[in-house]
Amino acid sequence: MSDPMAEIRASFFIECEELLEALQDGLQAMFDGARDDETVNVVFRAVHSIKGGAGAFGLDELVAFAHRFETVLDEVRAHRLAADGDLLKLFFQCGDMLGDLVRDSRDGLDHDPARAAPVLDRLDALMGTQDDTPDAEEVAFQPMAVSLDLPGLDTDTPPPGDAPAPPVWSIRFSPAASLYAAGNEPLFLFRALRDLGEIEITCQDRDLPTLDSLETEQSFLAWEITLTTSEGEAAIREVFEFVDGLCDLEVTEQVGGADITKLHPPGADAAAANVATAPYPAAPAPGPTTPEVTTPEVTAAELTAAEAPKARPPAPSPPRATVRVDLDRIDRLVNLVGEIVINQAMLTQSVEEAGLPPNSAVRTGLEEFLQLTRDIQESVMMIRAQPVKSLFQRMARIVRESSADVGKEVHLRTDGENTEVDKTVIERLADPLTHMIRNAVDHGLENTADRIAAGKPAEGKVTLTAMHRSGRVVIEVADDGGGINRDKVRAIAEMKGLITPDLPLTDSEIDNLLFLPGFSTAEEVSNLSGRGVGMDVVRSSIQALGGRISITSEQGKGTTFSISLPLTLAVLDGMVVRVAGETLVVPLNSILETLALTREEIREFGPETHVVNIRDNFVPLLDLGAELGYRDPLEDYAGGVVLLIAQEDSNPAAVVVDAIEDQRQVVIKGLQDSYGRVPGIAAATILGDGQIALILDPVDLVAQASGRTRPPRPIDAKAG
Amino acid sequence: MALRDQLRTIVVDDMSTSRGLITQALDGFGVRHVESAADGASALQKISSWPVHLVISDMNMPGMTGLQLLHALRSAPQTRGVGFLLITGKADREIIEHGKQLGMNNFLKKPFQPDDLRRAIEAIVGRL
Repeated sequence: MSDPMAEIRASFFIECEELLEALQDGLQAMFDGARDDETVNVVFRAVHSIKGGAGAFGLDELVAFAHRFETVLDEVRAHRLAADGDLLKLFFQCGDMLGDLVRDSRDGLDHDPARAAPVLDRLDALMGTQDDTPDAEEVAFQPMAVSLDLPGLDTDTPPPGDAPAPPVWSIRFSPAASLYAAGNEPLFLFRALRDLGEIEITCQDRDLPTLDSLETEQSFLAWEITLTTSEGEAAIREVFEFVDGLCDLEVTEQVGGADITKLHPPGADAAAANVATAPYPAAPAPGPTTPEVTTPEVTAAELTAAEAPKARPPAPSPPRATVRVDLDRIDRLVNLVGEIVINQAMLTQSVEEAGLPPNSAVRTGLEEFLQLTRDIQESVMMIRAQPVKSLFQRMARIVRESSADVGKEVHLRTDGENTEVDKTVIERLADPLTHMIRNAVDHGLENTADRIAAGKPAEGKVTLTAMHRSGRVVIEVADDGGGINRDKVRAIAEMKGLITPDLPLTDSEIDNLLFLPGFSTAEEVSNLSGRGVGMDVVRSSIQALGGRISITSEQGKGTTFSISLPLTLAVLDGMVVRVAGETLVVPLNSILETLALTREEIREFGPETHVVNIRDNFVPLLDLGAELGYRDPLEDYAGGVVLLIAQEDSNPAAVVVDAIEDQRQVVIKGLQDSYGRVPGIAAATILGDGQIALILDPVDLVAQASGRTRPPRPIDAKAG
Repeated sequence: MALRDQLRTIVVDDMSTSRGLITQALDGFGVRHVESAADGASALQKISSWPVHLVISDMNMPGMTGLQLLHALRSAPQTRGVGFLLITGKADREIIEHGKQLGMNNFLKKPFQPDDLRRAIEAIVGRL
């Protein structure tokens, strides 16, 4: 970016996000009971700083809103207004509105003033008829000048507005040979310069060769000129107008040659004038033991502050240094690390094939290399990781807005905000999580009257938790509502033809009916969660991230949705399988179990399909080789290896392969760019032996499966 | 010799946007010896190893306010004489009066244009 203002503007909006986060945190702390001045101050300062920055960029709407918000916050800060629950709720709304305004300003969108109007009216109502604080104009203040004793500078700094001492110019003039050839004479130029002001000229003859090697046609002399003039640079250059191009000319306004030495105190500060002549030391001299205190009231903070410069306190913990890096660069790094992982796997394989003894230098070296690779991989992934806090804060707003919409009292509790997850995962979680939160508020929690009748507190509780668990991130959305009404869910599913009546279902199977496409329990579609997206869409977006979603519910106690996600999207735990001579990778998280097929377990089902009896559950049999078009269905699947693929809405599917080769981490290489979307295939990877293997998208594969597991029987063969 | 070439200034503001804007404006006036700090304590520390002629400080900052920073500066002999320009969003009487007592040289109300900043600085140190 070349325009510094554009850069500052961009950084302002980034800073605003940080301030908005601090604002939310502060308001939440106040809401949770914090009443200390510093918390209120943090909130005030966040709004104040946004206002200040917005003013500099002429974002008037933002300034106007922040100003009115800030004015009320200032009342709270001054203890003239009590921050009760209602007021804090208004502040939350204001914070949301402020965030909207910031983002609209950033994106150059027009903001509908009608949206802010009701909030602003309430803010103004709080201020009543109070006068605005007196402004700067009313406060008489006479600026106080300090005199700076700087070398080369007139010691008596003129009062502001007076003409300053004329500037001093350094001129370096090096004529080329052509200058003399054209008949010019430097002396005339110097005379012309002398007319401009006070002049001092030094001839530089260091390039002058000895007489015997002197070439008379060449130019060896240069001059350095110090000129004190108020005429300005243009006037100086005008002197050299006729030798333009025939010489090297540098004209610079002089920076005093030496260091800055003296500094006088503010002229009006008579008490301090005594020390005025003391040289300004480069390093602090030990100060007096007690600072001279000039104000009658000295707060503790002021005293500490006063001692700071002389006592050389331990360095204040500096803000964490950060560097902003383009995401593309990080992704390139992630890719390169992926290459290393692949490379290292290949190397390991070669070393193993070479049959070197386990204690050989190559093997031990490789061992260290593996460890380093893992560390690098982890560190690189950490760069992309971000705390889920920003996401959770967005959800806090969703809870506030949706509870107001349906007229329920809802408190959101968040836990594990600092849990870090890949940036892309966070971004792609926002929509499904929003939907789940709305669901919890709208469907999960009972009406206030029902809650009271059930002996629960009127205020419903939604808990949003993030945690790391066995190498994955788990995010839970829990409500303390009535739990899933299974009779009702069942009835709806039957009514919609999603299940057959009398189908025996466990509680958990009934709960999972919620994930079926087209399922909605709301008797009438409310304007909240009924937005044409069901839990089926939530589930598929979670699955697209390599995640799983599950549901638990207890009658009268509430419902918990649990999302489990991989830490990163770049590496995947996979099972390497072979089918019809091809090597494929199946994501481990989709495999429930693996088993060898016996003839007894396979049952014919329809003309072309089979089912497998797994512990008295019948599961459709799919031939991976046939589904991907590698081969025709086989005559006999007995002895084949079956992967039981999780299908969270219904029974799992049994996918048959020839053999399982390995279980390992693979680096995901997207196919999207080169092949577009391939049905049943999620991505590709490179295995240790350099072979490219496709990574299955098991959910998609099962959804698209034909289920053919019997070779077509030609009609004439039968007839013949 | 121009004052702007020699003037050493520190900009103190918790908001990097504001520091950027002021530094940018100073750069526009040809004032190049500029340091910055995000709070009063680190400003004092920086000044102890890099003496300045002028402190341009925000009022409302976490930790030390602008006026507390001013008080600290005036309390130590090495920094007693520095010029102090307070940048404030709210120029109410209380702040200005308190600033006056502490020996504030000038103040500037936000938002401001580079020219306003220049005038406010020149009223303290003379023509840049």
